Amino acid sequence: MTEYLIRRTLQSVLVLLLITIVTFLLIHAAPGGPKTIFLSPNLSPEVMEQQAENMGLNDPLPVQYFRWLGDLTQGDFGYTFKNNLPVGDLVWPTLGNTMILMGSAWFLALVIAIPWGIYNSTREYGFSDQLASFIAYIGFAMPTFWFGIILQELFALKWDLLPLSDMYSMGKEGDLGDLVLHLILPVTVLTLGFLAGYVKYSRSSMLEVLDQDYIRTARAKGLGERKVVFRHALRNALIPIITILGLDLPILVAGAALTESVFNWPGMGRLFLQMATQREYSVLMAITLIIAVFVIIGNLIADLLYAIVDPRVKLGRKGGAGA
Amino acid sequence: MSDTAAPVTGTGRATAPSKRPPGLWATGWKKFSRNPFAMTGLVVLAFFIVISLLAPWIAPHDPARGDMMLPNLPAGSEGYWLGTDELGRDILSRLLYSGRISLLVGFSVAIGTVIIGTFIGAVSGYFGGWIDTIFMRFVDVMNAIPLLFLNILVLAIFKAEFYYMILILALTGWMGVARLVRGTFLQLREMQYVEAARAIGVSNWGIIIRHLLRNATAPIIVNATLMVGGAILSESALSYLGLGVQMPDTSWGLMLSNAQEFMLVDPLQAVYPGMCILIVVLSVNFIGDGLRDALDPRKKTVKPRRRLGK
Amino acid sequence: MTQNLLEVRNLTAGFETENGFVKATDRVSLSLAQGQTLCIVGESGSGKSVTSLAIMRLIDYAGGFIESGEVLFKGENIAGKKQQDMMRIRGSKMAMIFQDPMSALNPVFKVGEQIAESLRTHKKLGEKQAWAKAVDMLRLVGIPSPEMRAHQYPHEMSGGMCQRVVIAMALACDPELIIADEPTTALDVTVQAQILDLLAKLKRELKTSILLITHDMGVAAEIADRIAVMYAGAIVEEGTVDQVFHNPSHPYTVGLLRSIPGLDGERGGELYTIKGTIPSINDLPTGCRFNPRCPHVMDRCLREEPPLMPGKNGQRAACWLEELPKEGA
Repeated sequence: MTEYLIRRTLQSVLVLLLITIVTFLLIHAAPGGPKTIFLSPNLSPEVMEQQAENMGLNDPLPVQYFRWLGDLTQGDFGYTFKNNLPVGDLVWPTLGNTMILMGSAWFLALVIAIPWGIYNSTREYGFSDQLASFIAYIGFAMPTFWFGIILQELFALKWDLLPLSDMYSMGKEGDLGDLVLHLILPVTVLTLGFLAGYVKYSRSSMLEVLDQDYIRTARAKGLGERKVVFRHALRNALIPIITILGLDLPILVAGAALTESVFNWPGMGRLFLQMATQREYSVLMAITLIIAVFVIIGNLIADLLYAIVDPRVKLGRKGGAGA
Repeated sequence: MSDTAAPVTGTGRATAPSKRPPGLWATGWKKFSRNPFAMTGLVVLAFFIVISLLAPWIAPHDPARGDMMLPNLPAGSEGYWLGTDELGRDILSRLLYSGRISLLVGFSVAIGTVIIGTFIGAVSGYFGGWIDTIFMRFVDVMNAIPLLFLNILVLAIFKAEFYYMILILALTGWMGVARLVRGTFLQLREMQYVEAARAIGVSNWGIIIRHLLRNATAPIIVNATLMVGGAILSESALSYLGLGVQMPDTSWGLMLSNAQEFMLVDPLQAVYPGMCILIVVLSVNFIGDGLRDALDPRKKTVKPRRRLGK
Repeated sequence: MTQNLLEVRNLTAGFETENGFVKATDRVSLSLAQGQTLCIVGESGSGKSVTSLAIMRLIDYAGGFIESGEVLFKGENIAGKKQQDMMRIRGSKMAMIFQDPMSALNPVFKVGEQIAESLRTHKKLGEKQAWAKAVDMLRLVGIPSPEMRAHQYPHEMSGGMCQRVVIAMALACDPELIIADEPTTALDVTVQAQILDLLAKLKRELKTSILLITHDMGVAAEIADRIAVMYAGAIVEEGTVDQVFHNPSHPYTVGLLRSIPGLDGERGGELYTIKGTIPSINDLPTGCRFNPRCPHVMDRCLREEPPLMPGKNGQRAACWLEELPKEGA
């Protein structure tokens, strides 16, 4: 177990390093080099050169990379080019905002989707099953941001029931009731997105288990249908579902760039988008890194949960697949 | 069903000589054509492709040039069936030209991902060893960065342009195909007939192309079809964010971003492009699902229905 | 006349598909007396597994159902019973042993728990009592250090061990009938013999009736009192082991017997095969279902279907032949 955790952590650090290198190279591979990106084009060539020298932009790439990495180990994400703000101050609050939004949507989707999918597996091709598959088809084919726009037009503009966008109304920052009102529309959009996949997934996972020999054994034992489904089938069906949940964890921080833009939600996705157009590379690096950390934690959690719910899996022996 | 080899074996002489079974593609088409959803999808998609191709001839107006005297006409106006936008551009014409772009992106990206993914998956699965390890770690890294973020990053840093977008979407979307092809190859490369081909001196690439790839064709096609829908959605998202198609070109996603600004003036402007995306992607997904059902040999023709407790 | 424990009459069962009803058994009739062992022998696809599932009424869950016929268990027809009532019978009065023990056990529960569950359900035992009884059952089926083994999961055991667990599970509530569907097929040869010995021993000691499904004539010879040979969904011959083995009355039985290697002492010779393959039960020839493959086919066989009728040797066979011609191998 300890050995497994150590090995996984080392692997994770390696993947993280790779990600930072890729991101770093990507930014420095931009046409015209980083100077044209980071510095105002209005500066005279001499001043520009001076500034680039000050910021260390003329140093060789590896030097620049390791300087960035060194700062990072001390919790320092660097400063923005514009206004010289600490990147951490910019990023951390948005992470919380995103998690509020995505967490609500994710939680809601799970609470609806897993029981629904399980119910549908016991009534294959029934009305509820058909409805779920209809929703899934629409959910997969519809641009989520468009759904958001339509909801805004109806609920905010036409009927004036809910706020159009943002996280709080002016002057009501921190008011929980106001926050909930602002959450309703974006959460609806995001929940629908999650729902489609999760219902389908829990249904098929359950169907697969219901086809197994040990379910027949349970019935041959004379167990009631409820015990067969909820005791014998569910425990097995939850194994892949739990794994998927772990793997989907990073969506909590990264999944909402579009919805955040539509609803002007002050989250990390929207920040990433703004900073991308302004080419604030230290912010982009920071966000990419945070997301990657979540991906790795998600994978680890998936593996650990897998080992907990499935007695066949011994960490250390079989684990270690995936990043 | 659950029985294994019985002591009695047959020579097949006594029964009537059976006809040569029709191939995978023939039976596939038969099954596909009997699937109403898939056929509807096919017809609708064909319709969109045709009107997109014919856009320069059937569009009533220049999509890029507006009549500044006629902004925000409502739907049903004379000469402007679906009205005009804030610059007086004809919405119907813009929809038609947008379809060209969206479908072009969809199909090019699907083809691109299949080429890249098949190559990487094939090499990885066939040769295995350290090549496989390197490629699969690379896939892990690619998967650890959410695609939308990666696309935003690259398009923002380089240049928000149509062709870049196609390239970027293809370069960041191949991982699924690669995993699929690799999986098939890992299974097949140990098969006897591959051994046999190797024994008679068929080259590695000969085996990959002639023997292995053929077995992976059906799932690749299914995956590529579903990819078309995904690419159209990605294009609309990126264009909506201002990182995809740029003026004076137009796409459904770009039209949506425009429409959101003028939501108060004309809410219907947001409905048309969104519906177009929804219908086209839905059609493509129906076709993809239909293909999967039709080409999957493991799927039985007879589907036993559950009949619980009479 | 004493009542048979199990009496199956004209059982036709099958599956509802997109192309209508597809038969898997065709008017199967069987009887099994108290304390006896009946073997159903047949090739893959002959309908023997479906017969067993239909008797247990587990076929309902596999997408099939009993179309017509009766299944009399202790004189009561269970073919039309509600599943709710079947649950009280299954596991307590009739139990089942499956082909693949590794997949027949639920991977996420300890084996002791899986046995105890039956006892809690039917015998209304408490947690502790049920567990103690489960350990006893494991001991009964010959599992060493049962206290420790009860705490293990199926994947920690070998195939033979798992099959012992499945047998213990089936026996837990003292059922009167045990249906064993190919209980040794998935196991290694040496383990097969052990499991058969165990079944034979349990049958002697516990006086349970067994309905054994197998494709292996050798297995049948070892454990059965009576044998029923199934072909393409129907019983073609039925009699005591002695009758069927020494005086087979149906050409198909003869074929089955002759295709056992080395049974008649002949070694090194070519293995006998019955020509042709088993026809689909929904696409049977007119007349006798065996006629395309029968070496003694007559005109009548092509026109009329032979019923299962009493023959000279005391068993019943579905064949128009008065006597099987003795022929050299």
